[in-house]
Amino acid sequence: MTGDKQALQKEKLIVGTPQTLRETDFDPVGKSVVRKDVIPKVTGKAIYAGDLHMPGMLIGKVLLSAQPHALIKGIDISAAAAVPGVKAVLTAQDIPGENVFGIAIPDQQVLADRKVRFIGEPVAVVAAEDAFAAEQAVSKIRVEYEPLPAVFNPIDGLKPGAPLVHEKGNILYHTKVRKGNIEKGFDEASVIVENIYRTAGQDHAPIEPEAGFSWIDAEGVLNVFTSTQYAFRDRRQIAVVLNLPMNRVRVANMTMGGGFGRKDDVTTEILVALLAWKTGRPVRLVYTRHEAMLTQTHRHPTYVRVRTGANKEGRLTAMEGVIYGDTGAYSSLGIFVIKKMALHLGGPYYYPNYKSDSFSVYTNNPIYGPFRGFGVLQAAVSHEGQIDELAEKLGMDPLEFRLKNCLRPGLSFSTGQVMTEACGIGATLERLQQYMVENGLSFERPQEVSA
Amino acid sequence: MKLRGIGVGAMMYGLGYGYARPDFSATDIELAPDGTVTIWNGASELGQGLTTLLCQLVAQELGIPYEDTFIISADTGRTPDAGPVSASRSTYVQGNSAIKACRDLKGPLSELAGELLKVDPDRLIYKDGLVQDQEDPNRSISFHNLAGEMHKRGRRVRGSGYHNITTADVDPETSQGDAYASYAWASQLAEVEVDTEMGLVTVLRLASATDAGKAINPKMVEGQIEGGAVQGLGFALMEEMKVEQGEFKNAKLSTYLIPTAADVPMVEPLIVEVFDPTGPYGAKGVAEPATIPTAPTIFNAITNATGKRVRSTPASPERVLRLLGKLEEEEEETQLTFEDMPYPEP
Amino acid sequence: MDENNLVKMTLTVNGEEVSMMAKGGRRLLDFLRDDLHLTGSKEGCGEGECGSCTVLLDGHSVLSCLTPMERAIGRSVVTIEGVGSPTNLHPVQAALLDEGGVQCGMCTPGMVISAIDLLQRNPDPTVEEIIEGISGNLCRCTGYKKIIFGIQHAAEELRSSGRTGMVKEATR
Repeated sequence: MTGDKQALQKEKLIVGTPQTLRETDFDPVGKSVVRKDVIPKVTGKAIYAGDLHMPGMLIGKVLLSAQPHALIKGIDISAAAAVPGVKAVLTAQDIPGENVFGIAIPDQQVLADRKVRFIGEPVAVVAAEDAFAAEQAVSKIRVEYEPLPAVFNPIDGLKPGAPLVHEKGNILYHTKVRKGNIEKGFDEASVIVENIYRTAGQDHAPIEPEAGFSWIDAEGVLNVFTSTQYAFRDRRQIAVVLNLPMNRVRVANMTMGGGFGRKDDVTTEILVALLAWKTGRPVRLVYTRHEAMLTQTHRHPTYVRVRTGANKEGRLTAMEGVIYGDTGAYSSLGIFVIKKMALHLGGPYYYPNYKSDSFSVYTNNPIYGPFRGFGVLQAAVSHEGQIDELAEKLGMDPLEFRLKNCLRPGLSFSTGQVMTEACGIGATLERLQQYMVENGLSFERPQEVSA
Repeated sequence: MKLRGIGVGAMMYGLGYGYARPDFSATDIELAPDGTVTIWNGASELGQGLTTLLCQLVAQELGIPYEDTFIISADTGRTPDAGPVSASRSTYVQGNSAIKACRDLKGPLSELAGELLKVDPDRLIYKDGLVQDQEDPNRSISFHNLAGEMHKRGRRVRGSGYHNITTADVDPETSQGDAYASYAWASQLAEVEVDTEMGLVTVLRLASATDAGKAINPKMVEGQIEGGAVQGLGFALMEEMKVEQGEFKNAKLSTYLIPTAADVPMVEPLIVEVFDPTGPYGAKGVAEPATIPTAPTIFNAITNATGKRVRSTPASPERVLRLLGKLEEEEEETQLTFEDMPYPEP
Repeated sequence: MDENNLVKMTLTVNGEEVSMMAKGGRRLLDFLRDDLHLTGSKEGCGEGECGSCTVLLDGHSVLSCLTPMERAIGRSVVTIEGVGSPTNLHPVQAALLDEGGVQCGMCTPGMVISAIDLLQRNPDPTVEEIIEGISGNLCRCTGYKKIIFGIQHAAEELRSSGRTGMVKEATR
């Protein structure tokens, strides 16, 4: 049997490739084997959605809203449609199915109908024989807007009489977390710190701007090759907009140039599918960096007020917080991002008493959605500020204070969920203690260095 | 003047979706007559290395060379639905579904191997390219010979795995309940230098202790940790969407600056492994944990250096100078008061 | 130039002669991607900020999104497709792959070209010089560390084998 094994190994030897690929390994878990996808990537052979082409292919281009909040009184496409090489100029009225999509709730228009809610919202989409004609056509679409009062901040958005972004009101979602008795918790505290924290919007900036490619195959199946974090949800959403059975739509992910949450949402997929379906031709739609930044999601800006108490032994007794999250004009995942933030506002520590509220609020700002960290990153800015300040007020070492209060197996999270043996926060903090010793670091040392 | 300081920050992160949102994955695998295995999984490779990780798990489960696995991913025309790639769930959910697909295939494989070796199928183990009686290692058959025999005899050579961690929802009024199937953990340490004349913050050192549960591919885990920390550094010091009257003013890479190689330290990944019995080989997700603590870690280091607390992102030179009292005018946001943000009633 | 704005593009691309009529007034990146179907060079920003479109023009790195296509007439262009093949990788490619310096891969072609440009000029760069050499190439995945180490290892590999970073010589 050993011979068999050796023979097998010999067969599998790969010659002329990097070191780590040269040896056959039957036991790869825990080892840094060479990735499956990297040889095409280093040689430029990997095909990203924007690299696709087909004979007869058209180029798509989108017209984005220039207004944050306005009624659309009319769209004149005649000059655009007359540009030589233009094969389609589509607006909301050309949508065969329902003009709606949304990753959490269906609140977003594919192409703005009657009203725009943010600068960057798609209003019309064009397909033409080349990029030049497509660009010219987009520049010749005339949209007549009637501006509406707008709201640009979630705190303003909650005030009585604030302009309504959606008819149902500006509160997308209110999360409440209630654990223990918050008043009792603060009564037991000997030190309380209370602050306001603010986090700015962040763009994902994957190096690949959003791109999609669509065509109809011989069986009449609408194909969309794209850059997506979830092909199956894209398929569901495309089918509804195009009024097609879901099994007649195929979505495939190409090599992807990063996502970080941004491509969890629909990006180019519905628009490029619409163009291919209407023209019967293959269509490629690639956003410029500027278009992508205007029309896609970003990290939620947040405003947090929080107070945190600890007793004189240095144990946390209570936390109370309120979060205002700006979700922009549409929900995207704004319900769940800001909900998750409320649960995680205290961080990896044990609070016997915990109260938080979060409001995910519609505004006429760009859309904010999922981004690596998903509300917890914004929460960390608050909880780590609070914890550090408490440690300082109590005269305790910041790492010791965290270790004293961090969750352990058997202790409960803000939701009351009891932590299991997999609770690893103590181990990571201890690793940092060890790192400080290894590197001779200390929190107390001369801060000034020579210029 | 230049001031140096050290800061730490920590985080926890509920893996997956929670709140009764669908949180599942399916994987199919098929054995070819030469013993190579094809994997179909509907989850996207974003660049994080998921396809590699699934191949590693399948190779490990079946005891075959990693090179003998091939994966087809994220295509509604070919692959089963594996749920989205987000919420740091891929290693945890999609990984578990791949392992279950292997275990499903091992049923008919062990049955035939048991017949050929005259061994109870339950005693068979898969390692080193062999299917072997764990009590008598001399009784074994090579995996690729077994694959050939499976095909010759028309046995089932396809396995399917389905893994579902959808949780019950939490209470709508109190959010009490088991919110997530599992949690991830990370802590970071930064050393910064603050130029008090220019307001510039330079991160000299960034160490990231991230709990991977089990690092299935350590280099890929390091890649997540290093890249995540740099995204967090961008958020901490440079990146800010300037939105005025609804208009994203700096929506270009020449005006919205993300970190270049010249802006970042060599991030030091400190992989911690606290076994999670519900994860594949004990693994947890690391993508988001790697980026979450960075900004407050840097802010705490700035405090350690200057005595001033950063409570708004980013800590741009302008904001740092304002904190140090070297710029006159106040920011609009700092004019927010507690009265603007009342705590809602109990 | 005729009324359709056609120009005769005569140049060398990845060592092969190209001579064709093409619609002029576009960027070198468009000519490479749309006319020659060499899609390895990527467009990340279109304004010279990200470096994903970097190619060698007469041996020196240029941003093909800022280079008019006509500027390449009579000259030699090397794109990522001309650098190394899957069975014969350039040491920079092999080192990035070995080190783990590739994640999504969108910046990789430009990063490889910039690294080759650097190693041609400076076969023994310090870490600071490598950082400077790739500071025009944005990467959003890796945090740069594994790319920097990869380039350092590629430089060592080239020096120890007595080769330069030149594409032809390094992949020989």
